[in-house]
Amino acid sequence: MQWTTDRRGFLTAAGAGFAAAAALPRFAWTAEGDTLRLRVTADFQVLDPFGIIGELDDIIPRCTNVTLVRLGDMREGNPLRNWAAETLEWIDGTRLAFTLREGLNWTGDYGPVTAADVKFSFERIAGSDSAWAYQFEKLKEVEVIDDRNGIIHLTEPFAPFTVIALPYYGGHIVCQKAVEAAGGSYTTDIPAQCGPYLMEAWEQNQKVTLVANPDWTGEKPSFARVEFYIVTDDQAAQLAFEADAFDFTRVNVGAAAQFKGAMPEGAALIEAASTRYAWLTINMNAEPLKDIRVRQAIQYAYDGEAVLAGAYDGLVQRSTGVVPPSSGYARAANLIATRDVEKARALLAEAGAEGIELNLYALTDGTSQTIAQIVQASLAEAGITVNIQPTEDAAYWALGDKTAGEGYKSIELVLMNFAGGIDPTENLVWFRPDQIGVYNWSFFDNAEYESLYQASMTEQDSDKRRAMFNRMEDLMEESGAFIFICFEPYLALHDATLVPVILADGHPDPVSFRLT
Amino acid sequence: MSCADETSLGARRGIGRALLADPMGLAGLVIVVLFLSMAVFAPWIAPYDPIALDVKAKFQTPSAAHWAGTDHLGRDLLSRIIWGARLALGIAITSVGIAGGLGLILGLVAGYGPRWLDGLLVLVFDSMSSLPMIFFALAVITVLGPGTATLILVIVLVSFPAYARLIRTQTLALAGADFILAERVMGAGTARILLRHLLPNVTGPLVILLCMDIPVVIMLEAGLSYLNLGVKPPAPSWGNMLSEGYNALRQAPHVVVVAGIPLVLATLGFTFLGEGLRDVLDPRGAGRRWG
Repeated sequence: MQWTTDRRGFLTAAGAGFAAAAALPRFAWTAEGDTLRLRVTADFQVLDPFGIIGELDDIIPRCTNVTLVRLGDMREGNPLRNWAAETLEWIDGTRLAFTLREGLNWTGDYGPVTAADVKFSFERIAGSDSAWAYQFEKLKEVEVIDDRNGIIHLTEPFAPFTVIALPYYGGHIVCQKAVEAAGGSYTTDIPAQCGPYLMEAWEQNQKVTLVANPDWTGEKPSFARVEFYIVTDDQAAQLAFEADAFDFTRVNVGAAAQFKGAMPEGAALIEAASTRYAWLTINMNAEPLKDIRVRQAIQYAYDGEAVLAGAYDGLVQRSTGVVPPSSGYARAANLIATRDVEKARALLAEAGAEGIELNLYALTDGTSQTIAQIVQASLAEAGITVNIQPTEDAAYWALGDKTAGEGYKSIELVLMNFAGGIDPTENLVWFRPDQIGVYNWSFFDNAEYESLYQASMTEQDSDKRRAMFNRMEDLMEESGAFIFICFEPYLALHDATLVPVILADGHPDPVSFRLT
Repeated sequence: MSCADETSLGARRGIGRALLADPMGLAGLVIVVLFLSMAVFAPWIAPYDPIALDVKAKFQTPSAAHWAGTDHLGRDLLSRIIWGARLALGIAITSVGIAGGLGLILGLVAGYGPRWLDGLLVLVFDSMSSLPMIFFALAVITVLGPGTATLILVIVLVSFPAYARLIRTQTLALAGADFILAERVMGAGTARILLRHLLPNVTGPLVILLCMDIPVVIMLEAGLSYLNLGVKPPAPSWGNMLSEGYNALRQAPHVVVVAGIPLVLATLGFTFLGEGLRDVLDPRGAGRRWG
């Protein structure tokens, strides 16, 4: 047989090929209707709730695993509802009884989700070196009554337990048998899943695909597939959104004015206050910063107004701590609320630290680099030379990690921002002494702070709690180890036909997304 | 003035005239002189301090006050371009100069030295040349940290083998020439032969190559700075300006356009000048032009 190809034949074959490809759902140009396409900024690293780090690490288990309760949209006040728990009731101040819903089953023939799985999931994290151990600090034990029933025992009354411990991070329930069979922990391969979605495919640093779990008996999600596209760059993501490559993406602050003027056709903008708090870490342990006068000089030289105008387009106010104003527990003002360059110079002279040179580490994104340059310029006015060290994501998170070497002891200045929780203790927990070498990169170690933290966990009176939180933030500022920048504005673009659900930490909840 | 000096001066005048007669070479020369002038006179001609912040004036479009507009921190873009020329050309000329000097010395030694040394040096040149430039640059920057000194080191390390190989080839070709043999017979030492006879004859092609490589280095510096791996902020690197402009591409497109213009012009200028020099220094071309 002789094979010949001419132009007409080629065009015919190519046309047929494209038509066939377009007819296949997985090759479709757009996936409206049954596929939700979300852009995320980074690939996941650890899916085991024990070692979750952030963003996709937590979004995926929200889809593939279950929690006893589930949070609603942050713009609606973070409403809490039962999820894996059919009922959840306080028996008294220290005992929380739960009954699991029927029909929750693990993949891989591991049977139903049981109260023993809940016990295993929570107790493996409580008291461990997991970053999420704080969620279960007041956990005494989980008592298993039968397969579906259990009682969570606390060491003392702690009402915020349901919002701190149960809805996310360490609160994801894992399959005891499957995890033990996997050696006690896992990273990127979930040994057993039970949520509304199952993980189907992972193209490293490109895309993660989830498909609806056919055995899921709970409330059906609106989309049969969820695709996460990993795009680090905000500009690229924005262009891709406009080219209909995603249905949802966060955008940078600078995009707000642009979109208010001309919104892309068929798109909607979410602009909301977020609980993500940004601050400048000043490491008290670093040699040049051991003198509090040097740290205070940095606090006085910092130009907060320029940072807000330059990096956040004036969309937000300066924060007074890490407790968001929306919580009702925020401080009224910073102790050093006004810039005073002369005082900064005087403090440096007094400390004999004129001409000091410091390294400032910041992530490479545009906002971080803009803040870094403004900090650099404002400190230069006081005679402090700042060398900006733009640092990629993985190297950045190793900076203050004691398991990554001795470097965490001597980092000097770091621009940081964390996703916030609902209860103020969730934001204040990172500055306790046991977090030094984990997330407390300032080496802030204050006995009064720790004692107030413990007291605030069990205090029921709102006014007393507020006073405690305010004092804790005073102590942070007085140490000279922190400059509070702001709570970052939340901006996202989405298909106007979608109703997105954004959780308190600023991450989307694909399970709850629906069409208008 | 000796007869030889007069001949040399005449030849240089001939090269100059030929370069000015070539439209491409002339255009390249004008652009290069313009950028060199910007680099040298930056402190006197830049209208503003290139790193002075004025965030209230961010993203201003070109106006009488700011001819090229302002960036995301309200810094005057024209001043940053002018100072950026000093940085870009400083890095490019320094690194290419060091690499050229190193290549010249090693090439002469390889071409005129003992065979075993030639073999060893060629092995070094080939090994260095086999490393992918960008990956090698990233590896060095990862180890030493980003910064101007690291950038120059990277450029020197990736550039000198090509120059050394060129000089070695030229030296090998000339080492057996009659006038070199005659010098040897007359008792001339190695140093005299290398410096008085080989060096003047091998530098022409090297100058052309160096000139052609300057835009490559400018682009490499801009590329690494764009990736936050080159010159550290707030230094007015054209690559940093592009990177910062890209973050506001939709909001203030003029920043990327303004930052891109000097890169394009400098690249074109040095390339045109290099092409022009090659034409006038090429012996076959010389015959056509000067005959």
